[in-house]
Amino acid sequence: MTSTTGITLETVSRSFQGRGTVVQALDNVSLNCPAGSFTALIGPSGCGKSTMLRLALGLDDATSGDIGIAGMKPQQAAKAGLTGVAFQDAALMPWRSVEDNIALPLDVLGRKRADFSAKIAELIELVGLKGFEKALPGELSGGMRQRVAIARALVTDPKVLFLDEPFGALDQILRRQMNLELQRIWMESRATTLLVTHGIDEAVFLADRVVVMQSRPGRIGKIVDIPLARPRLPEVFTTPEFHALEDQVAEALDGH
Amino acid sequence: MATETALGASVGTTRETSGFRHWSALRNAAILLVAWEVLGRFKLVAGGALPAPTEVLIRFWSDRGDYPAHILATFQGASLGFLIGNGLAILAGILFAVSPVAARLGRGLNVAIFALPPIAISPILVLTFSGMTPRVVLAALGCYFVTMSATVTGISQTDRRMLDVVRAYGGGRLALLRLVEIRAALPAILAGLRVAAPAAVLGSILAEFGGGGRFGLGAYLIGSLGRADPARLWGIGLAATAMALIAYGIFALIEARLTRSTRAVTVAATPPGIRSEGSWLSTIAITLASITLPFLVWWLLLKVLGTPAMIAKTPAGVFDYLFLAPSATSAQTRLLAALGQTLPMTLIGMAAGLAFAFLLALASVVRPGIVRSFMPVALVTQTMPLVALTPLLVLLLGRGPSVILWITISVTFFPAFVTLAQGLGMVSRGALDVVRAYGASPFTQLRLVSIPASLPYLFAAMRLAVPRALLGVMIAEWLATGTGLGNLLNQSRGYLDYGMIWTVAVVSVLISVLFYQIVIVIERHVLRKRGMQPAV
Ligand SMILES: Nc1ncnc2c1ncn2[C@@H]1O[C@H](COP(=O)(O)OP(=O)(O)OP(=O)(O)O)[C@@H](O)[C@H]1O
Ligand SMILES: [Mg+2]
Repeated sequence: MTSTTGITLETVSRSFQGRGTVVQALDNVSLNCPAGSFTALIGPSGCGKSTMLRLALGLDDATSGDIGIAGMKPQQAAKAGLTGVAFQDAALMPWRSVEDNIALPLDVLGRKRADFSAKIAELIELVGLKGFEKALPGELSGGMRQRVAIARALVTDPKVLFLDEPFGALDQILRRQMNLELQRIWMESRATTLLVTHGIDEAVFLADRVVVMQSRPGRIGKIVDIPLARPRLPEVFTTPEFHALEDQVAEALDGH
Repeated sequence: MATETALGASVGTTRETSGFRHWSALRNAAILLVAWEVLGRFKLVAGGALPAPTEVLIRFWSDRGDYPAHILATFQGASLGFLIGNGLAILAGILFAVSPVAARLGRGLNVAIFALPPIAISPILVLTFSGMTPRVVLAALGCYFVTMSATVTGISQTDRRMLDVVRAYGGGRLALLRLVEIRAALPAILAGLRVAAPAAVLGSILAEFGGGGRFGLGAYLIGSLGRADPARLWGIGLAATAMALIAYGIFALIEARLTRSTRAVTVAATPPGIRSEGSWLSTIAITLASITLPFLVWWLLLKVLGTPAMIAKTPAGVFDYLFLAPSATSAQTRLLAALGQTLPMTLIGMAAGLAFAFLLALASVVRPGIVRSFMPVALVTQTMPLVALTPLLVLLLGRGPSVILWITISVTFFPAFVTLAQGLGMVSRGALDVVRAYGASPFTQLRLVSIPASLPYLFAAMRLAVPRALLGVMIAEWLATGTGLGNLLNQSRGYLDYGMIWTVAVVSVLISVLFYQIVIVIERHVLRKRGMQPAV
């Protein structure tokens, strides 16, 4: 089963027609994320990371090229309930409570909420929002909202997980904690994960491979393999190997 | 440092003035009441046409046996029309929001409904239907456009990111509507219902003017018109106003409860579906279809209702009456004569109303105190069935042409002022600060910022004013002066001249739509040149 849940992009391009100009958001991008792998996507602002995610989720159509999610077209995979997603901004519905927001994918997919009540409670506990089940997004802080979005992404036990800077609004300490939790969840579920991030340390800590992108036009510059053993403990952040890998990614970001 | 003190100072003054404002509003109201009482008691206005408030109250008390039946009848017509009109409006709004093609096809129908002066079709309704139906139809028509456009705006302004989440899990069109869009549009829809509520009351009253039915505040008003009893007329007018205000207030409360937000009382005046995409051939086809659709609906309705051809004129019937029948020349002469009286009045009244509104709104930029003391009055007046108060103005001003002008000015001025003042209040803050920082005088501020920034709102106010002005003129002509289209309509009603009734109705709708389209074309041209967007 694990052999069928990968992400493949083959010579994918996406351009946007601006006023008079054409923005080449993605230019001939090919990427293969094997089933069960953890890939981090890093690159300067505007290089097409969110665009790539939107294409893989079937929210947008590529100008050319092919995209496969678990061997299906993105929209089929979404309808089958294989994917989970947390967006760059939490995108919660202000009229739904924390619980109800987390349950939203179940409503879309037509699954029975009652079968998942234990799962929802567990996720709320996991993201540290116990006691806020009935709160509305307007009553939460930015970081708390982002944690709701993460819980929402996990509620369907996705086989393919897309995360667009999910920890952007969290403080450094909480971010580390969430990184550890995410690693634990990933090791349990072995969902194929694509994480967009601006944090080099986060990318190196979590990923099997860090894909470094370049902008104008958006393309893949370099792929850095991260051979660190799992489970990775917090101590790994201070090791020389870790720093060396971070330097590699940083160099690739500078365009070397 | 300097900005900090300036900020502190301005915060201080707003707090002071807000306390002062409540107090001064009460004081103003008290002064007004006392002055009114004095004017009334000593019969200082138009030989007693303005009765004192206490006289109105005393009369109201002695008439108290009459009111329940009339209020109930108007309430029934208005509330049934409210339900039907808004139900259809929300469904139509969802359809237009989901399908751009449907929106463009429905544009002609929407503009016609927006622009049609209710009084023009009230005789037709009274002739074609019986009982409550005319009231229900006019009340429903009064609600439709406001709620429909509120629904479309609400749905199309839904946060795209929320839609993405649902789509990312494979949610289709229905899931998007059910889980996100309708709920996200709820505040806008409720705001639409709030504005629609008094419109339903007005619709019912206007249908009652057209006859049919013994009960209803409008019927009561018309029935009391000949009795030279100002105190009673004022009592009825105030009862109608109170009804509209209560309807408005109830929905304002519901809205505040449900969404904890109340929006401005501005009414949308743009039908959805202007943007055109695709080839010019399909654009032309859709535009033609959208123009044909109202006529098709008109024809179909008559066929479905099976009204006898003598009474119910199809589009072909009206054409026949006006151009082919033996009496066509006489009909044309009468129509042209009436138009010659109505059109100048409409244009002058509308221009004057807009000009006053524009000047006062600009003045309020220089002196915000003006708008603060005047806005509450303007807002209340927005929800009043102003045209239903025409008999009162007749008492005050007599039956000369001046009464037409005053009614037209009053029905265009208030909505235009509210639109302009709120628009100016929204745009100019930051821009004004820039020129102020360079020491610009109030007039330079007006010239450089406020006037250019107010253009979109001026056009929005014009779009809003066109149908109202025609409605105001026609009602004044019907009830007061006995001239123009309004009178022609009333006379034809008396003579059972069905051809003319239909002709006047169609012509007045066409004129209103034509003016409206002219405003839209000029607006698009002017605003595009300046890189501005139309205000809703
Ligand atoms: N809907 C759109 N219309 C036009 N241009 C777009 C659209 N979406 C994205 N772009 C353009 O595509 C490019 C890539 O955008 P994208 O959102 O994928 O960047 P990103 O890598 O996610 O950046 P960030 O790190 O800031 O989130 C940008 O230049 C952007 O302007
Ligand atoms: Mg992004």
